Amino acid sequence: MSTERLIVVGGDAAGMSAAAQAKRRNPGLEVVVFERGPHTSYSA
Amino acid sequence: MEEIDSPRGRVRVRDLQNNRVVWESYDQLLLATGAVPVCPDLPGADAVEICGVNTLQSGIELRRILDDRNPKNGIVVGGGYIGLEMAEALVRRGMAVSLVSRSPEVMKTLDPDMGHLVSQALRDFGVTLYLEETLIGFETKSGKITGVVTDRRSLPADIVILGLGVRPNTELAAAAGIPLGERRSIRVNELMQTFVAGIWAAGDCAETFHLVSRKPYYLALGTIANRQGRVAGVNLGGGSATFPGVVGTAVTKICEVEVARTGLQESELRELGIEWASAVIRSRTKAGYLPGAGKITVKVLAEKGSGRLLGGQIVGMEGSAKRIDTLATALHAGFTVEEMINLDVGYAPPFSPVWDPVVIAAREAAKLV
Repeated sequence: MSTERLIVVGGDAAGMSAAAQAKRRNPGLEVVVFERGPHTSYSA
Repeated sequence: MEEIDSPRGRVRVRDLQNNRVVWESYDQLLLATGAVPVCPDLPGADAVEICGVNTLQSGIELRRILDDRNPKNGIVVGGGYIGLEMAEALVRRGMAVSLVSRSPEVMKTLDPDMGHLVSQALRDFGVTLYLEETLIGFETKSGKITGVVTDRRSLPADIVILGLGVRPNTELAAAAGIPLGERRSIRVNELMQTFVAGIWAAGDCAETFHLVSRKPYYLALGTIANRQGRVAGVNLGGGSATFPGVVGTAVTKICEVEVARTGLQESELRELGIEWASAVIRSRTKAGYLPGAGKITVKVLAEKGSGRLLGGQIVGMEGSAKRIDTLATALHAGFTVEEMINLDVGYAPPFSPVWDPVVIAAREAAKLV
């Protein structure tokens, strides 16, 4: 899949796991994460 | 995020620091919006400061309230993971703690006979339990909470913590026409794609599949969120991964007592119309002659006739909970309890009796199926 811009809504366990995996697999992918709270996942 | 515009491939987001609203376009969108605590619409509920402890921030706020006010009487409503862990935390601070639950025993993710062991552990720890009582409202005085009202009594409180479970945070997905499933979680396939092109979902907002009942299922647990997130991320990054589903494994610890469960429990089996036999055994966490050998109770449920393992529950001292992983693995493998008898699990006196407690329970269940 040739994704150019991935938006992730939610920066906790699922969101950050996915963002990290996607970026690692495809470093050219632009990954943007939006999180409502002040913290990202603290255990991912 | 405030809106999903899937036809135009964009989302509306608000920067909460300056209140600026922008449309951001995407080629692929992953919804990982999680779950939100259930907050009851009851008299006085506006004054409740702690409705669910489900984010790092809510834990920080709770801790600040406790440190600032040093409350003496705490009431926890809800007998699940959050309720029990919060009750323990308040007792450890030296507070007088009561727990209110609608169920006959705490931990209704266990069968009542196993839940009873957990209720007893809480009482031994000094928590007063009000079971089979329904929350009907809160007492307040000039906007501050002063008590909890159940269908049977009024309980004075300086602080009230609600642990009434969560629901998937999917309103915006529903508004965008993304199909929902069990308990209004977002329906996904094995790749973690929703049924709208270019939109994916993972974690507490997404549906999963129960590998024992073979039905769609909703379960908000961080373990599942991590695995679903990984699968979504691999696929979004151009790789290939699938998420087959869950068997419903969860562990926790209340005071000194470890609690674990996996698979289907009696209430679920009844609903599914599956006939089962169950065996409950009591053993030790180490060889009985070793110092520190603690009590462990294991329950195994198996299908009548076929002997297929359906689920299991464990309550016991240190070294008990993670034994559930043997049962969880056996559920993934589709083992019968007969097949579990010869499992080559590890033994030495510091770790287990010669027959592992889980295997003893499987052996007993095999006699009953």
